[in-house]
Amino acid sequence: MDYDAQLKLQAYLDGELPEAEAKDMAKCLARDQDATVLLAELKNTRQALAGGEMPRQLPESGEFFWSKIEREIERSELSQPAPAHESLLARWRRLLVPVSAAAVLGIIILVMVGPSNSSLAPESEVASEDSGSFVYRDESGTTLVWLSYPAENDIADETGGNRL
Amino acid sequence: MEAFEELVARHRDKIYARAFSMMRNEQEAVDLSQEAWVKGWQRLKQFQGDSSFGTWMTRIIINLCLDQLRKHKRQRTESIEAMDEDSGGVERQMPVITVNPTAGLERAELRQRIDKAMELLSHEHRTVLILHEFEEMEYKQIAKTMDCSIGTVMSRLFYARRKLAALLTDLKKAE
Repeated sequence: MDYDAQLKLQAYLDGELPEAEAKDMAKCLARDQDATVLLAELKNTRQALAGGEMPRQLPESGEFFWSKIEREIERSELSQPAPAHESLLARWRRLLVPVSAAAVLGIIILVMVGPSNSSLAPESEVASEDSGSFVYRDESGTTLVWLSYPAENDIADETGGNRL
Repeated sequence: MEAFEELVARHRDKIYARAFSMMRNEQEAVDLSQEAWVKGWQRLKQFQGDSSFGTWMTRIIINLCLDQLRKHKRQRTESIEAMDEDSGGVERQMPVITVNPTAGLERAELRQRIDKAMELLSHEHRTVLILHEFEEMEYKQIAKTMDCSIGTVMSRLFYARRKLAALLTDLKKAE
């Protein structure tokens, strides 16, 4: 009997063989004396073990044992972080992720659209440099007038104009 | 907490006994049982009632003991016995025991002999016997619990049974 057959014999004893294989094994046992003797040994060991486990008692008093468990439970519960802090942190994380993503996206768009597409940049002209006012016009017709304040040149200071 | 204290009181010996049977060391068994009860409390919400509370706690202690035994194993070299098993030969050379070595024994005597013989097995072989014979697990469950293949379970169980038969025979001769 080879090793695989011996393991199969054991599986037969333990009821772990599929039905067809179990039938084949039963037939094999009828004609193989070695297999029958080995099966008897395995059965004896199994029977000896059934109900043969030594019962044991905890070698210390129940009160003392429980006091240690209770102390350990209390200690472990105290060492756990408060759930309120945890959820606040989690909320911050949830908020930071989309905000960061939007910021990165915004920067990427600015970098791509800004300098590389100079033709799309708003046209600007200085309407009156001396008076410190600037006018910007873009293709859509939007006009933006910017008056510098406080005055950046002497004329503005002298006339006292542009004080808004 | 009072209800849990009652559960501890009811099952503490059984849990300790399983820890001792696997570790074979009183202090380690006490410490691991204590740890198992703390884990039991922490995971109480996960207990679905699919099995009895005692069975659920037994699974916790078995897993803790297996973790501990793995730690021990990392600290020492493989035993010669385990190497023999891996090369797949020792149990084939053992003569078949034709006379039942436990026939006619009183239950108390039988338990003592089995306990003595179990102590002489390597922890891998002892564990597979405990899980199969005492916890009545199937090969598949044992493989999952011990994190090994079903083939390894079969091989270890076969060796453990044959070795145990030989040890029980030696004890009978020595009486």
